[in-house]
Amino acid sequence: MARAPAACYPAQAETAASGPPGDAAILTTTRSRPRPRRPSGVWLGLLLALGCGPERPAGPAVVTFPGSELGAEGRVLRGQLARFMATHPHIRVVQRPTPDAADQRHQLYVQWLNARASEPDILQLDVVWTPEFAAAGWILDLDRFRPPTDSFFPATIAANTWNGRLYALPWFVDVGMLYWRTDLLRAPPATFAELERDAARVRAARGLPYGFVWQGARYEGLVAVFSEYLGGYGGRILDGGRVTVSSPAAVEALTAMRDEIHRDGVVPPAVLTWHEEEARFAFQNGQAVFMRNWPYAVGLLRDSAASRVAGRFDVAVMPAGPGGRPSAALGGQQLAINAHSRHPEAAWEVIRYLTEPAQMLERARGVGELPTRPALYDDPALSRALGLPAERAREVIDHAVPRPVTPVYSQLSDILQIALHRALTGQQEPAAALAQAAGEMQALLDRVGLGRRRSADGD
Amino acid sequence: MGIEPGLGVERREARFAWGLAAPALVTILLVALFPLAWTVWESLHLHDLRMPWLGRPFVGVDNYVEAVRDERFRGALAHTLFFTVVTVALELGLGCVLALAMNRPFRGRALMRAAVLVPWAIPTVVSALLWRFIFEGRSGIANALLVEAGVVRAAPVWFIHTDLAWVPVILADVWKTTPFVALLLLAGLQNIDPALYEAARIDGASAWRQFRHVTLPLLKPAILVALVFRTLDAFRVFDLIYVMTGGGPGTSTEPIALYTFHSLLQNLRFGYGSALSVIGFAVTFALALGYVRFLGPGLTETRA
Amino acid sequence: MTRGSRWAAVAIGLLVLGSAFPFYWAIVSSFTPEARLFEAPSLLPRTLVLDHYRALFTERNFWVPIRNSLVVAGTTTAFCVVVGGLCAYALARLRFRGKGPLLGLILAVSVFPQISLVSPLYLVLRSVGLINTYPGLILPYLTFAMPLTVWLLVGFFRQLPAELEEAAIVDGASRLRTLREVIVPVALPGLATTAILTFVYSWNEFLFALSFTLGPERQTVPVAIALFRGMYQVPWGQILAAAIVATAPVALLVLAFQRRIVQGLTAGAVKG
Repeated sequence: MARAPAACYPAQAETAASGPPGDAAILTTTRSRPRPRRPSGVWLGLLLALGCGPERPAGPAVVTFPGSELGAEGRVLRGQLARFMATHPHIRVVQRPTPDAADQRHQLYVQWLNARASEPDILQLDVVWTPEFAAAGWILDLDRFRPPTDSFFPATIAANTWNGRLYALPWFVDVGMLYWRTDLLRAPPATFAELERDAARVRAARGLPYGFVWQGARYEGLVAVFSEYLGGYGGRILDGGRVTVSSPAAVEALTAMRDEIHRDGVVPPAVLTWHEEEARFAFQNGQAVFMRNWPYAVGLLRDSAASRVAGRFDVAVMPAGPGGRPSAALGGQQLAINAHSRHPEAAWEVIRYLTEPAQMLERARGVGELPTRPALYDDPALSRALGLPAERAREVIDHAVPRPVTPVYSQLSDILQIALHRALTGQQEPAAALAQAAGEMQALLDRVGLGRRRSADGD
Repeated sequence: MGIEPGLGVERREARFAWGLAAPALVTILLVALFPLAWTVWESLHLHDLRMPWLGRPFVGVDNYVEAVRDERFRGALAHTLFFTVVTVALELGLGCVLALAMNRPFRGRALMRAAVLVPWAIPTVVSALLWRFIFEGRSGIANALLVEAGVVRAAPVWFIHTDLAWVPVILADVWKTTPFVALLLLAGLQNIDPALYEAARIDGASAWRQFRHVTLPLLKPAILVALVFRTLDAFRVFDLIYVMTGGGPGTSTEPIALYTFHSLLQNLRFGYGSALSVIGFAVTFALALGYVRFLGPGLTETRA
Repeated sequence: MTRGSRWAAVAIGLLVLGSAFPFYWAIVSSFTPEARLFEAPSLLPRTLVLDHYRALFTERNFWVPIRNSLVVAGTTTAFCVVVGGLCAYALARLRFRGKGPLLGLILAVSVFPQISLVSPLYLVLRSVGLINTYPGLILPYLTFAMPLTVWLLVGFFRQLPAELEEAAIVDGASRLRTLREVIVPVALPGLATTAILTFVYSWNEFLFALSFTLGPERQTVPVAIALFRGMYQVPWGQILAAAIVATAPVALLVLAFQRRIVQGLTAGAVKG
């Protein structure tokens, strides 16, 4: 699995992790038939000695990086790392494959970091994992490297800050966007009321099966969608250590979502089992007027070979309701350094390189991922790379709201998902569901000592 | 050597014996007994490795109270009991039949022994994978054969049904362990004096009566040994279910050991997980004690 | 009695067939191309390919888990046969107080559910940096391997004639010398059988290997096979090929020493 040249470090070519040197020695001695005479003391001593850390020969620092190895992403990354190694001969980067599915990768990271493994040195984190890993002491605080935080979108920096310190550098950003049909409408709706009206009207006129599609299955994606409605109505999930998900604004937002499905028929009930891909297919096949999804869909929708809406759609920020502002759920990937890494400075060099504007632009071109540096959005090259006007993307990012920055986010999300889904499937009234969820979430925060702290995200 | 030379010899023998036994005793103290005591101590604390800022406060029996209230744990207990009862009953029954069949001289004894030993010798993980493959999806070989034999009309997807998923699991365990149980019972059978059967036959007893009144009572020790081993093993089942269903669908096939593993190494709740494993251990130990009462003394006798 | 022999033959026939079928099916499938694995399976193979086996050793580097298993199981066996053997000899052939409780203690340890040892062992191994290392597996393995060896060897030693030591002592040999030069050679078959059984149990162990290793560099064969993951689907062809490769040596070992193993298992269990 290691792509490093085997010649220099044969022992590491296959292990790429802490392992006793002298493996060959162990191999020859223990293959022999166990003879009942060998004194056990020598064995124990030998084992303990070999179990201790290896003495690595001095040379290039080896930095392990578990990035994606597949498809366009893999290709771009390999190219960038090769260029990096060419210009930084004292550092070698070894790629380590990890599962692409987020929760599998999360589980693997938890296992490694909890066991205090020194590798991988660099970690690719989902935006909601940073506070969790930071609070557990698993990733390094990056302030000592004086990162250029001003060159990144403030929302992305805020999402990666815990206890006033930065723990991960934003690599690329994902935001929830409203996709709309340019051949059926003249302009995107600015409010939810407008959206519902437009969807109903166009559906009736053109006979489209769906007005508006989003991700409503009982998973994290639903919380992202909800957070956009919530922001649109002026609410928040968490305020400092206080859970505010049962506020009147929140109840309004959730009621609006439910009514869109069951009362107005704007959103099909099928969305309650949909993730990103199902919604994308519906829109891609021309069956929906509007779709809420992440930026990855842009490239796929533009492909006229597979998409029926190529050239006939655009993106905009989600609408708002009365009392709120347009909101976009913030996603994306960040790069962090393992707290037990043996080469933190070398790891930092790699991270710094990968988050440079040139590399971000290349990624935008090759994979369609949005850079996290605002300055790039003034560069016409970015629009060409993305296939959509950079200002549009930037507008959405400017409205990005991070999901609650707290180490127990995944547990909070679990509680909230259940309540949201119950309300949307009509099993419970939104007010009751949210009140119940808020109670449980607050109890959880209090129990782990994170409740009722001072507000402001730089906690 | 002293007033009583006998005593001196005894003492030297005892010293020598302890000298020989000491390394093993020390090893076991270090890697088994001390850690077990630690588990119990740990179960009395709140220790979540994802939240180091909470420290490791002493919470007494809170973890145990939570466990008793934990629906998922109660479910795991029920699944474990179900699995144990079913597999032990099947294995004992089938093993008995097989042992009786094998208790005759015939050719191909080596083949039979191979058929018995190889399933036992392979890793449980491998047997779990083999059987998972056989029942996988809609077009695994099991479904193909069942449909062709007309047993079922439509091929079920075994692993997505909460009750059907047990079938391949139990089948895999029975396949792997029945031969071993048969072996144990066979050894017991071979200890029975054939003269007793002669006597019974002369008295006009049918084969069934011979079985009930000669075989069964004399086989009792072997049956009890098999019962003890199999019950304890079934209660501790982990490998098989982890690999075959992962506890799924949902958590409907999750046994205690798997839920404990989940709490420890996935949720990183070491205090709570330790409490779960203490409860599991207590139940296992109680079962073992119960059986030992039946087995009686004789385990610690030696040739003096 | 012919009716009895008939159903006995049927029972044994079913036993052999039942035992063999999963292996047969796994072997056949491991030589079947991936695309055909779930499409109209038939009992007799039509096409045979070596793809999966090749992929095992080129793409997946299956040598590494095999090496890890050999090291861990081998070391555990060697250590336990020596240390456990000494203890078993004392328990079986010498007189001293505390013998009963000692044996009881050692056997009680084998009743511990493995899972109850995972949390403290994990914490200790982590604090001394032994997670994902060979000693980090061998030490936990001693928890089950040691009681097993003692149990088996006590059974074997008991079967040796009592006069062996007496004859040597009469000749003026010390106890240690008696042990070394008289007992061990005679007990070699028992020691060998115990070594084989301990090796098999250690090779097959899963829970500790899963808990105390982090990646392919130190994972043992059972863990490596269980964690084979394709990016988008389960690579059954490779899994089955790995399963065959992993179990063939153990199976052959067991087949070669059948009689001894059966003796060892039943002697320890029933007469014990």
